[in-house]
Amino acid sequence: MRLGGEPVGRWGIALLAVTGVAGLVLGWHGWTTRAVTATPPLAGATATAPASPAGSPAAGQARSASAPATASPAAPAGSARPSPKLSSEPYAGFAYQVWPGTPSTAARQAMTGLKITVRKQGNGLLVMAGVIGQPASPPHLYAGGTRVYVLEAALGDDSGSADYNLGDDGLVVTDAQQRVVP
Amino acid sequence: MSRPRPPGPSATGALAPAADAAASSGSDGWARASALAIDWAPVAGRILLALVLAWFGYHELVRPGLWTGYVPVVSPASSLAIVAVLIHGWLLLVLAVALAAGLATRLAALLAAVLLLEIVISLTISGGLSDLTLRDAGVLGLAITLTGVSQRRLVLRH
Repeated sequence: MRLGGEPVGRWGIALLAVTGVAGLVLGWHGWTTRAVTATPPLAGATATAPASPAGSPAAGQARSASAPATASPAAPAGSARPSPKLSSEPYAGFAYQVWPGTPSTAARQAMTGLKITVRKQGNGLLVMAGVIGQPASPPHLYAGGTRVYVLEAALGDDSGSADYNLGDDGLVVTDAQQRVVP
Repeated sequence: MSRPRPPGPSATGALAPAADAAASSGSDGWARASALAIDWAPVAGRILLALVLAWFGYHELVRPGLWTGYVPVVSPASSLAIVAVLIHGWLLLVLAVALAAGLATRLAALLAAVLLLEIVISLTISGGLSDLTLRDAGVLGLAITLTGVSQRRLVLRH
């Protein structure tokens, strides 16, 4: 058999067929785990929880103040299952702490193209995160939050002050026990 | 007082065989190196290009959600973007294996060049010329080069 004018033998065809099937299996795996492996968006919400609609600051405060039924360290003990620890999340390997303290070099690179502002408010953190050059998203209150991490799966997609792939960027806030704050 | 005499014809004549031998030896070495490069440089090129394609293909298939930001026009949060990444990753993986095994390498390199050209254009439009764009342009150049090279070494024949 000839492909593109070059002869391809039986073994070659078999190898390509096996690769094609392996690719389909990997693709199926990627499709079925697409929600689990996604990074939390910059607006907030954990990867496992459904993303909250971008609300106003008042809405964010109301959500936190009312102790939502979703896992939250701010919720009274026993009222809900605890949030997962950051270390148990699939994106733990590429989470870079940006607050408190001075962000590391990697964290600064991970923040390329992003604008993240953190302010303490009560027992939580008021976080505003967005993409440079785009309208800023409303601030989000993370009740009980003590640390802020920026997520960037591949630092190689940053160039200068631009981030070519915002699909692998995210933001996560944890409490003092390093549990993810929704 | 005698001054050092500049080398005359006799002196050059005496040195000539050694110089010729050295030149000949150097020329032979260069010819051997050239022959080696002609045989193996395309192999190195296609294996390295295959590595690049395989790495990206695998990761796009396994974690498509991290790559949707590169899909032009479509919203990164959409299922369509995920499907586009999966198809792209599958193509990259198959092309990588074809190149690594030396199967229809010119066709595989041509398809890889088309995919890379789309990437370079897309990156240029979205972010202008940058180190990322130009690096991909270099990989595109490698793919284009391989479309014109017939493979003789490390090829899966039958």
